[in-house]
Amino acid sequence: MRGSLRAFAIGFAASLLAFAAVAANAQSVPRNRTLVVAQNFDPQSLWPNGTTASTNLNPGGAIVEPLFWVNPRTSQLEPLLATAFKMDSPTAYRVELRKGVSFSNGEPMNADALVHTLKVFVDGAVTPAYALYSTPLDRFEKIDDHTVVIHTKNPYPAMALVLTQIHVIPPAYWQQVGHAKFAQQPVGTGPFKLTEWVKDDRVVMDRNPNYWGTAPKGVERVIWKPVPDDTARAVGLETGEYDIAASLAVGAAPRIQGQPNLQLVSVDSYRVFNMILSTLPKHQSPLLDKRVRYAINHAIDSDAIVKNLFFGKARVLQGQLLRKQQLGFDPDIKGYAFDPEKAKALLREAGFPNGFDIDFKIPSGRYAQDREVCEAIAGMLAKVGIRTKIVALEGGEFLRQLRVQELGPLSFVGLAPPDDPHFQLSQYRSDWRYTFIQSAELDRLIDEGVKETDVAKRGALYRQASRLLHEEAPTVPLFLGVDFYGASSRVKGLLPTGDQRIYLYGLSLE
Amino acid sequence: MIRRLLATVPVLIGISFISFALIYLSGDPTDFLLPVNTPEETRRAFRAAQGLDQPFLVQFLDFLAKAITGDFGTSLRFQQSAGSLVWERLGATGELALAAMVIALAIGIPGGTIAAYRYGSVTDRAVRAISLLGQAVPNFYLGVVAVIVCAVWLRILPSGGRGTVEQLILPAFTLGFGLVALIARVTRSCMLDALRQDYIRTARAKGLGENRVVWKHALRNAFIPVLTIIGLQFGLLLNGVVVTEIVLSWPGIGRLAIQSIYARDFPVVQTIVFLSAFTFVMLNLMVDLLYVVLDPRISYK
Repeated sequence: MRGSLRAFAIGFAASLLAFAAVAANAQSVPRNRTLVVAQNFDPQSLWPNGTTASTNLNPGGAIVEPLFWVNPRTSQLEPLLATAFKMDSPTAYRVELRKGVSFSNGEPMNADALVHTLKVFVDGAVTPAYALYSTPLDRFEKIDDHTVVIHTKNPYPAMALVLTQIHVIPPAYWQQVGHAKFAQQPVGTGPFKLTEWVKDDRVVMDRNPNYWGTAPKGVERVIWKPVPDDTARAVGLETGEYDIAASLAVGAAPRIQGQPNLQLVSVDSYRVFNMILSTLPKHQSPLLDKRVRYAINHAIDSDAIVKNLFFGKARVLQGQLLRKQQLGFDPDIKGYAFDPEKAKALLREAGFPNGFDIDFKIPSGRYAQDREVCEAIAGMLAKVGIRTKIVALEGGEFLRQLRVQELGPLSFVGLAPPDDPHFQLSQYRSDWRYTFIQSAELDRLIDEGVKETDVAKRGALYRQASRLLHEEAPTVPLFLGVDFYGASSRVKGLLPTGDQRIYLYGLSLE
Repeated sequence: MIRRLLATVPVLIGISFISFALIYLSGDPTDFLLPVNTPEETRRAFRAAQGLDQPFLVQFLDFLAKAITGDFGTSLRFQQSAGSLVWERLGATGELALAAMVIALAIGIPGGTIAAYRYGSVTDRAVRAISLLGQAVPNFYLGVVAVIVCAVWLRILPSGGRGTVEQLILPAFTLGFGLVALIARVTRSCMLDALRQDYIRTARAKGLGENRVVWKHALRNAFIPVLTIIGLQFGLLLNGVVVTEIVLSWPGIGRLAIQSIYARDFPVVQTIVFLSAFTFVMLNLMVDLLYVVLDPRISYK
């Protein structure tokens, strides 16, 4: 026994020494010039086009840059590796690349690199997560060393959004190492270079001395830490271990706000929370009657939900699924007013004077406060006589049921499609996997909208589509999610986007 | 001995089968791996490329055949070898489990022994009270409380992460506390029993010092049940590791396991289950062998 105790002791001492060595190594950059960001998860991949998860894109995007980005401060498309793009024809988009930019391994960032990147981007076997964006892309033509024309299969007005998703990779290095290794050891043009990645513990990146643009001021090193526990992220921010903590729990927000050396940043998420009210004949229920769907819309008080469960920080939707900032938002659409008496009257009219019983499918633990929101909804529905039985589904099962249209007739979802009205509205096309409405007129508007390159005309088509959805009411638009970020007051200019992207452009450390 | 080793093979296969079946039944990994609005063709192609379109038994046998050669397949979520993903995190978990065990032994055994020796005293009651507390408090709660007290209020320890000795203290304590309680309790009751035996009276009668009587004669005899507990608990530490690693941001396999289960990452879950089962079986084997060292009367011949 004594022998094995000694073995324990020796092993223990050895690991202590190992820590000391690691700790010494990590201290070569002073703490006050290091930005430590706590996210929920360690990246799976540092190749930004490997997945669409923000926990991967945030660190990966600091190394491998896209052509453009949408600056959340201005909501404008701003150039990065490309300086401009224009439409030669509705199916040809000319991209001008920035001159004199190199990857950190010395390879030039030029038309050849972009054409190679695009070929990888459209390859469904390597880049399946971006298939939704890349399907309309057809072929790529190098015009000169810094100009590429992207030809599409059909007119593609959402091209600007696609260009923000294309992250340019160095062709020689990519071919040398392959995509799996690239995801582990990426090389790009970005303001930072990967120094060390200790799985599930930290991704360390140091400033790229040859960066073409303006690197974040005062930041020599960025460390991305995976901190899966909500409380732990908030606590580590308070103790000064982290400078930025992402995805804070709603409950942690007021506490962060009250501290003098911390700041709370709340961002309107692209996540649209709504209830599904299926109009499909295969989901036999009272909801097939439009009056019942109106009744449910009148029965829900979204303002109360936002006020009581989200400290008033989430945005109530105005009777439509598009956000105010999006093309096609119609200011003339007003949501169905909260009016339980009207709801009861509509139910009586539809032949349900005593209400009815129905299952209400909800995700459990997938979205912030999902259970609480759904219990509040169930309570509001009960007041007008609709007695719901809540069926809580685990995340995976919830997604499966959504994908195969089993979430009808009544459920609660929060989806965050890419930031173009087409991706939001096309979820209601008759043949879409999880549509809960079938309307030839809506299909026509969606199909015309996706090809209409005239912005004004396109907006008009989407306003029409929104009005149709409002009139048919296959959903109850509830509210937009809100994401909370905490940061040390040393961090200046932190403004993540609604898809939880933390860009380092324009950020600085005091 | 060899028979015992061979007997572990069906156990490992059985465990792999059960875990494979459970996670297979729990859903389609593409739901998590690809955005929800991914076109169906892309989804199908992805499934085919990963072998997910194969029937259940084919997938399982394929896994088993490769596992024998040490190849646990490719993680669906990371697109890396599942074996190396687990291997990278094994050190962290091993270190944490070991540190927790060292804490548990260093406090539990002397605590239990002294409590038994001073039966009924204040020390005894204190040890019993702590044992009760240690077994009653779940470690996710203990972890959060420990972080709030030590990291937020007192600011003496970091709230999480791995790399320095300070960072090891909270997780090791959180994980080890329940074990301290258990070991102290078992040691105490076994020692109470041992101290009443005739050979203790004999030892005292021949004029040995109290220290020798208690720590050598009595403890060695009382140790066998304690050792059994240690062996079993080492395996069960993996349970606690999941929670502790999440609450205290410790980069080990417990956290990888739970995230892989949520993401339906079959190969990684399989690898972890397989490795954990293997460790558990081996530890029990080691404990059996240690019995022989401790008690010459036991023999496997």
